[in-house]
Amino acid sequence: MSATATAFSAAPLDSAAAALAAMLARSTVEVRPLARGASAGAAVGAGVVWHRDGLILTNAHVARGHVSVVLSDRRVLSARLVARDLERDLAALVVDATDLPAAEIGDSSALRVGELVVAVGNPLGLVRALSAGLVHAVGRRAIQADLRLAPGNSGGPLADARGRVVGLNAMIVGELAVAVPSNEARRFVREQLRP
Amino acid sequence: MEALLSLSNDLASAVERAAPAVVAVHARRRLPSTGIHWRPGIVVTAEHTVRTEEDITVTTSDGRSVAARLAGRDPGTDLAVLRVEGLTSSTASLGDDAALRVGHMVLALGYGPRVSWGVISALGPRWRSWRGGEIDRLVRLDLVLYPGFSGGPLVDAAGRVVGLNTSGLAHETRLAVPGTTVSRVLDELLRQGHVSRGYLGLGMQPVRLPDPLRAQLGLPGDTGLIVVTVAPDGPAARAGVLLGDVLVALGGEPVRDLEDVQAHLGAGRVGAAVTALVVRAGARAELRIIVGEQPRRRA
Repeated sequence: MSATATAFSAAPLDSAAAALAAMLARSTVEVRPLARGASAGAAVGAGVVWHRDGLILTNAHVARGHVSVVLSDRRVLSARLVARDLERDLAALVVDATDLPAAEIGDSSALRVGELVVAVGNPLGLVRALSAGLVHAVGRRAIQADLRLAPGNSGGPLADARGRVVGLNAMIVGELAVAVPSNEARRFVREQLRP
Repeated sequence: MEALLSLSNDLASAVERAAPAVVAVHARRRLPSTGIHWRPGIVVTAEHTVRTEEDITVTTSDGRSVAARLAGRDPGTDLAVLRVEGLTSSTASLGDDAALRVGHMVLALGYGPRVSWGVISALGPRWRSWRGGEIDRLVRLDLVLYPGFSGGPLVDAAGRVVGLNTSGLAHETRLAVPGTTVSRVLDELLRQGHVSRGYLGLGMQPVRLPDPLRAQLGLPGDTGLIVVTVAPDGPAARAGVLLGDVLVALGGEPVRDLEDVQAHLGAGRVGAAVTALVVRAGARAELRIIVGEQPRRRA
């Protein structure tokens, strides 16, 4: 097979991956310590726009104290911590905004071992960087992914090949990425934020 | 995003196809390793993960625990073979490792199943491991072998098994023993419990041959191997090789280093005669050595 033929056959994959990255980046926010004094500034983690009317989900270990979020359109908003569950490592933030680009939330129980997943976050200060990998193993309380994460990915989305968020990246164990399943996050939102 | 979705589905299907033949092998403390149900009742795993020869069990992909018996082990290729009676799960569907190309997407599976994704990063010709085993092709992987993944299958994008992954043959790099080698070594282990390797009973060291000597004797290469030890009653000793002889050719082919010698000592050579050309006291001498079998050490 010629090199040209190979390049052509991979092109649809490349553009699909780029579209997926762009779609996911829109619904990913940076979480920063609230700007007060000199220590403020750098992102400590990421978050997912869960609802268009201002609900943002992240990890409990990211949402410590007062934080602000930076949306994909670069707006910086101060966030109110409305719920925090240390055991699940989940936190809910609310910002005063409407019409946010909410993520589509997937069903984590439908994940198959071996399917493609991507993560978006702010690893080592890079803003909305993408990493790609596979589902390594699925448990009720955690999804393990064969995917490179770094500090700053915490709280950011893990999404399937359709761009549906199936988890929130929470930890790196060995070389594996560990995410809180989206179904756990839904349960958390249901329990903590009953209307 | 259809292209990505179909790739994603294909990868998940490849895992589903390969997973039934993947087992956990309990032959060491703490962490099990992975094994492949290669043929009915025959499981192959990485030799370095088999730390006990008794009370070995395997756990099948559907969670059953079955007793296994060690049928043979070859540290050289890092392969061990287990006989497992009553193993009803399906065997691995084998792919063609000769068709592998650099850049091909591959999966490594561990028991569970758990999975790791990457590419073939390099391919090379037949090579000899640091433990002396002959491996038909160098297959280098760019993927993570997670704890317990050694002995598990390297799976192509269609879900076929093309090799056995191990961290036991190289430091820092991830390698797979190609399926061809696995099948070949497995046959030999089932037949006789070990892999035989040719043996001369010599310790040698490369030396440069002086130009006048080369010219005078019409020697093929510019280096030879000087004999520094001769195993008592070994194949070379019986053929009359003496300390201080310089080996310059085997079977008519020049030998420049130990690799060249090893090339004459494959499994099929045991019992065969090979003509050794040596320089002794400034003259050529030809000796007929009957290749012996490497004495076995306990692993």
